[in-house]
Amino acid sequence: MNRRKFLTILGSAGVVSALSTAEVKAAGGTHTFPYYDGSFGVLHDTTRCIGCRECEKACNKVNSLPQPKKPFEDLTVCDTRRRTSAYEWTVVNKYEVNGRQVFRKLQCFHCNDPACASACFAKCFQKQPDGSVTYDGSQCVGCRYCMIACPFYAPGFQYDEAFDPLVQKCTFCEPRLKEGKLPGCVEACPMDALTFGRRSDLIKVARARMAKNPGKYADYIYGEWDAGGTAWMILAPAPGAAAKPDGAMQALGLDTHLGNRPMGELTYGALGAVPMIVAFWPVLFGGAYAISKRRDAIHEAEKEAAIKEIKNDMTYAVNSAAHKVAETHGQAAADTVREAMSEAMQDKGGHN
Amino acid sequence: MRNGKTLLLLAAVALISAACPTIDVAAGEAQVSEIEDYKDSRYRAIFPVSEKPNPAGVGMQPTAFNHFVHVKKAGNCMSCHHNGITVACTSCHTMEGKDEGGFVTLTAAMHKRHIAQRPEGTATPQSCISCHAQQTKSKPECAGCHSIVKPARSASSCAPCHNMTPSMTTEQMQQGSAGTLPDVEKLALASATIKAREPARYLTPEDGPYKVYIDGLSDKFGSNMYAHRRHVESVMEKLADNKLAQAFHANPETLCATCHHISPLSATPPKCGSCHKATIDPEQPGRTNLKAAYHLMCMNCHKGMQVARPVDTSCATCHKPRATQSLTMDSQSSGQGSITPQSVN
Repeated sequence: MNRRKFLTILGSAGVVSALSTAEVKAAGGTHTFPYYDGSFGVLHDTTRCIGCRECEKACNKVNSLPQPKKPFEDLTVCDTRRRTSAYEWTVVNKYEVNGRQVFRKLQCFHCNDPACASACFAKCFQKQPDGSVTYDGSQCVGCRYCMIACPFYAPGFQYDEAFDPLVQKCTFCEPRLKEGKLPGCVEACPMDALTFGRRSDLIKVARARMAKNPGKYADYIYGEWDAGGTAWMILAPAPGAAAKPDGAMQALGLDTHLGNRPMGELTYGALGAVPMIVAFWPVLFGGAYAISKRRDAIHEAEKEAAIKEIKNDMTYAVNSAAHKVAETHGQAAADTVREAMSEAMQDKGGHN
Repeated sequence: MRNGKTLLLLAAVALISAACPTIDVAAGEAQVSEIEDYKDSRYRAIFPVSEKPNPAGVGMQPTAFNHFVHVKKAGNCMSCHHNGITVACTSCHTMEGKDEGGFVTLTAAMHKRHIAQRPEGTATPQSCISCHAQQTKSKPECAGCHSIVKPARSASSCAPCHNMTPSMTTEQMQQGSAGTLPDVEKLALASATIKAREPARYLTPEDGPYKVYIDGLSDKFGSNMYAHRRHVESVMEKLADNKLAQAFHANPETLCATCHHISPLSATPPKCGSCHKATIDPEQPGRTNLKAAYHLMCMNCHKGMQVARPVDTSCATCHKPRATQSLTMDSQSSGQGSITPQSVN
C-alpha cells in the first residue's frame, strides 16, 4: 500500500464515519419508544390516600427489605419529605393543599421511555412489555448515572455494601405480575388509592372520575405525558381558585417542567454516537499517527543520504587539493592541509 | 300544506279561547276574593314561556313554586330577582331566550349549577339548582351524602318540581306557554298543586337491619359490626326538620340510595359485593374493589358530615383485630362463613 492509496482509504472512511454519526443524531431527534400496547400501570388517586403506610409495609414484606428503624404504624414519619432509597422503594409523604392534608406515594414511575435506561451504558435497565422498568445488576458498574438521570429521584444505591453495591428501586413487583398477582402496595391499599390496570384504561378511568366529580380534581393526569409518559400516574385534588395553573401538582411536589418528551431524547443523539467513536476513532487517529511516523522516517533517510554524498564530495575535493599541495610544497605540507581540512569538516559535521 | 286546515282550526280555537275570557273570569272571580293580589300571594306557576306557537299545548310540565317559603328562607329578593326588578322570571328568560335576559334561556336560568361570579357591584344570579346545591354542600347533615351522590338528571328527579296538577287543561298549558294565562288561573293551578303535595313516607330505621356484620373480606381483622339502624336513625333525626330534604327526597328509599347506590330504589337492595369484587374486574376498571368501596363510602360520608371520629388511619376503631394464633386459619376460611344472620359481603 502506498501513501496515496492509504490516504484515499482513510479519507473515505472518515466521511462514512461522519455520515453515520449524523444518522444516529437524526434518529435521536425522532426517537420513538416502542410503545407497548396493553402495558400495565397504576393510577394513584391522592384524594383517596389516607396516609396509612400499608403500601410501604407491603412493599417491605413482598420484597424482603430490611425492617426500618421506625415501625410502619408510626404515621408521623409522613410529615418529613422522605425520598426513596435502596431499602425503601416506596414512601408516603404528607402535603397540604387548600388547608387539607393530602398524601402522595413516591416510587419509581416506570417511565414509558426511561431516562435511567438511556443513561446506563451497561444496559442494566429495560422497559418490559408489561410496563415495568426492570434492573439487572449483573453488569452494573455502580456509576449511578441512572440516579442522576432519573427526573423523579427514584433509584437508590446500596452505599453500605462494601462489595458489589447495586442500584435498587421499585420493580413494579414484576415477579408478582408474572405470577398473575397485583403489586404488593396495590394489593394492600385499603382505599383503592392505587388502581392497577392497563395504562390506556387508567387514563379513561381518571378522566371519568374528573367528569363524575366536578371541582374535586385538578384537570391534569400527572404522568400521562410528563417525561414522555409514565406507567404510574397521579390524580391531584383541585388546588382552589387562588392557585396557579400548575399549582395542584406543585403542591404535591410534582415537577411539571419535565416536558412531554422522554428525557432520553436529549441524549440519544450524542450517546448513540459513542459506540461509533469508540470503535472507529482509534483506527482513524492510529492511521494518522502511522503516516506521520513513516513520513519522518523517509525524511531522515533522505537527509542521511544527502549528507553522505556531500561528505564524499568534500573528501574528494580535499584529496585533490592535498595532492596539488604535495606537488608544489612537498608531502609534509600536504599532510598538514589534510589534517586541517578534516578537522574543519568534522566541526561542520558536528554542527549538523 | 297538508295539515293546513288542522293547524288553522287549532289556531282559531286557541285565539277564541284566549280572546273569550268570560268562562275563565267566572271561574277565577271566586278565588280573587279569597287571595288579594298575585304579587302578594304565596304561590306561583312558572310556565315554559315560549315565542313559538304551541297549538297542541305540549311542553315541559310547569312548576308550582312556593314563593312564600322561599322568600322567608332567602330573606332577600335579589338572590333570585338579580337585576333588582321584581318581575316574573319568564318576562326576561323564555325557552328561546330574549334580549332582555341576555339570551339566557329559562332552562339555564333555572338549572345552571355553576354560575360565573359577576363583577363587583353586580349581584350574581342564582338558579334553583345552584342555590339548592349550596345548601346541600354547606350543611353537614346534607353534605355527607351529597359529597358522594349527585342528584341524577332522571324523570324522578324532575318530578319534585315539574308536577303540575292533572286538572290543568291543554288550553291552560297553551296560554301558559304563550304567557297569556291570567294570574288567577295560575294561582289556582299552583295552589291546587302545592296543596296536593304530600311528604314521602320514608322507610323507617326499623325497616332495615339492626346490625350488619361485614365479614366477606375479614383476614387481618375480625368481622366488622356496622350499626345499620343507628346510622339511619341519626341521619333521619338530623333531617327531620329540613324542608328542602322533605321536598326533594321524594321516594321512600331516597335516603338509602347513598350507600345502596346505582341499583334501583328498593327496600331490599343488593349487597355491595354483588357488584364490587375483592379485586378489580378488568372489564370494569372504573369500579372500586370491595374493600375500597366500603372505606370510601364510610370515610367520605363521615368527612362530609364532619364526624371527627374515627380517624381514617385508626383501623382498630371499626375492626377488632383477630387473635394472632387463629390468623392463618381464619384467613383461609374468610369469605365463606357468615357469622350472624345479617351478613354482607
